[in-house]
Amino acid sequence: MNCEVCQLKELEVEHFEIREVLRCILHTIVFHRALGLVRPKVIDLELFDITYVQCGDGELEKKIDEKIEQFISWVEKHPNKKSQVCISFYEVKNKHPSWFTNKTERLYWEQWYINLNVSQQQKVHSGKSHPSKIVVDPGENSLEERSNRRAALESSLREVLFQIIKFVNEKKDHVPPISDGVVYFPYEITIPSSSDSAFGMDMIKRMLQTGHPTMLS
Amino acid sequence: MDLHGMTPHSDSGKLEQVVSQFLLKSLHIILDSRIPSILPCERTCDSRVRKSDKWFNLVLGDRPAALDNLNFWHRNLMDPMIIDIILVQQRTPVSSVNNVLSGSSGRTATETVIERWFVQFESPPRVTASQPGEGCAASYKKTYKKSIIFLRSLYLQTRLLPAYRIFRQLSSSSQSLNFDIIYKVSSFSEPFSRAEEEMMKEYRFVPIEAFPGRLHVSVTYRPQLSDFNLQSLTTMLPKIISDYVGSPATDPLRYFPSSYKGDRAISFPSEVMHAPTSVPSQRPHSWTSGFHKPVVNRHLAGSPPVHCTSQMSYDSPSPPLERIQNHRRPLHQRALLYDECQLSPPFSLSVSPSTPTYLRNSDSPRQTRASCETAPVTIPSSMTSRNARYISPNFSDPSKLSLPPLSPRSTRLDHSSNESLSGMRLIKKSEASRAGDLGSVGQKVLKDSRDDSGRFSGPLSSSDSPRVGFSRSSSKLSFQDDIDDCDFSCPFDADDVDSPDSRISQNFDGKRNLESTSIGRKSQDAAVGVLVHMLRTAPPLHQDSSCFSCRSLRAEVDNDGIATTASGFFVPRRTSDALEELRSYREMKDLLLSKSGTQVLTREPS
Repeated sequence: MNCEVCQLKELEVEHFEIREVLRCILHTIVFHRALGLVRPKVIDLELFDITYVQCGDGELEKKIDEKIEQFISWVEKHPNKKSQVCISFYEVKNKHPSWFTNKTERLYWEQWYINLNVSQQQKVHSGKSHPSKIVVDPGENSLEERSNRRAALESSLREVLFQIIKFVNEKKDHVPPISDGVVYFPYEITIPSSSDSAFGMDMIKRMLQTGHPTMLS
Repeated sequence: MDLHGMTPHSDSGKLEQVVSQFLLKSLHIILDSRIPSILPCERTCDSRVRKSDKWFNLVLGDRPAALDNLNFWHRNLMDPMIIDIILVQQRTPVSSVNNVLSGSSGRTATETVIERWFVQFESPPRVTASQPGEGCAASYKKTYKKSIIFLRSLYLQTRLLPAYRIFRQLSSSSQSLNFDIIYKVSSFSEPFSRAEEEMMKEYRFVPIEAFPGRLHVSVTYRPQLSDFNLQSLTTMLPKIISDYVGSPATDPLRYFPSSYKGDRAISFPSEVMHAPTSVPSQRPHSWTSGFHKPVVNRHLAGSPPVHCTSQMSYDSPSPPLERIQNHRRPLHQRALLYDECQLSPPFSLSVSPSTPTYLRNSDSPRQTRASCETAPVTIPSSMTSRNARYISPNFSDPSKLSLPPLSPRSTRLDHSSNESLSGMRLIKKSEASRAGDLGSVGQKVLKDSRDDSGRFSGPLSSSDSPRVGFSRSSSKLSFQDDIDDCDFSCPFDADDVDSPDSRISQNFDGKRNLESTSIGRKSQDAAVGVLVHMLRTAPPLHQDSSCFSCRSLRAEVDNDGIATTASGFFVPRRTSDALEELRSYREMKDLLLSKSGTQVLTREPS
């Protein structure tokens, strides 16, 4: 089984927008991959005029929020960097214990890469600005720029959601069969690690676990 | 729904069932996100999973009744299911403004298809012989799984399209809007015109394999709905409220007229609604701003208020508009204000904090006017009729001080009120500290100057000029102090009579004044006190013109031969002048009586 990979359109977000954007995208992806009995829950974004759908599962919300908070912490330590959040769906295969793998083997059949470019606004009149803190530029030009940027981000986010819809409808054959009583396929949300090279190590580790080369579309 | 629980039908039968349920589910998802009226009321709290919910593992709640008819008319699965989402917009022509006022509806409704969903199971005419059994056996399972995924994306897609915003606007708004959304389900629809096609976009979902056929779903939609002027209905225009409800503190409680129940708001900026204190600042005696909201909200709730009333008729033209604006509040906010109205005092401190301040604080003239308004001082009619010449102000409504002078009237009361206003002109021309002293005399002065007919009958009638009895140069401030110390309604109480009189008699033969004024003082004190209070609260007078008028009046007095002392201000002497006149009348009376008594005595012997 191939691992389908979807690279979503890169979004330029500000620090305070990360939470909402990630919630929207992650929940949308999980909703399309939660093929068990689901009671959909419609959520309106606060920062954008966009409505997305969740599975209505409190545990799922909690897990996703925890990952988002970890990502935000990482962003604060690594400002002005392009980053990725990866959500992977896998199957649990027969357990083959080996010296460098866990007991369970994961067969990833789908990966979604959420590409974010977190930008931070700097103060114009202040010579000192903490790089990890977002400051609001009170100038008129910056306000206009901010509104334009916000509108552009909303449009891009909408495009990302349509991109998800298109992807899930185009590629369905790789989706494993639905187990009785199971709502969600096993998934994993991966955020960049503290070190820059760790993210690549995670990818290599995943490749060793799955035994399949990661195919980038 | 798990396919294993399906009744043991042939594979084709199962596929047919899957397709049929697919159509129903698609229609349910689309109507759920487009037609507010189709949603059952008990939807939100219902957590049970129905049989229909289990299909495609998507819990949507009760199916609309319209879906029950789908199987009736959609007998052939090959027929497409076309769902038109139609925007019905009411438009009021400009010429039908009168119709709006009169209540008749001159509106026209226009229908525009803003979305068209096309769902069809397309099956080839023949089934290929290469895949007779296995394809059929596994196909419906695959079709079912893929349908589950597709319906998830359809659920999200319907929330991303522009028509969803209109649905949300219809669902959330408690006001009557000038638009509505209806739907039409059919197997055939008229194609769009070229102009309509140019304004619409199409999105086609990836076909779902449903061996031997495919499920096709597409949507043609309007990407921009801003061309439609979608807003709340504005059927109510500002109009004068004849049955105005006053404040509970001063006016009897009245209900709002029932005709306001169906009124709708005018789309004023919301900032006006949230700045009600601007109204009280213009009208310090107004407390209506605090009542606007509770009154309106309560009215919208259907039950007219009992104690939350407003005094809008006293205000400027803005209150009706402000009341109209409050119609636009969301229902939950209106309910909250309803509770506030129940609990809050008559003067809503939160909304118009200046109002109770005006009532409590009586330091400033404006506030005193407000306090006067709430607790008006009325002059007894007997006193007014007898002492009309001395009682000029109408303290029942001190707010008239700020109004332009009234036209002269025939009645004594009116004349006195007219005097008061003209007296106010004089008062306005002098310093504020002399207001209380000037007012009482100045009014008398002007009254005398105008009234040639007979206000001052008797020996003093020849003196058209005002009487200047005495100087009160040194007593002005003290007189004013007495006014400040005493109750405004009766500054010349019996206890305080001595103090002003003692000062007054400094410039005169004091005993004469005391004798002449002592009898009439008590009867005049209340009226004069009211006058003084009114004058005290009057705006300050200008210096220059007061000097001119006072000099002229003094010249007239000197010509009459009435003793005066050097004083630059006649106005404060009006009270004294009146008292002296009374004294002179008494002397005349005594003289007449004495003469008549002598004649009688002389006649009797004869």
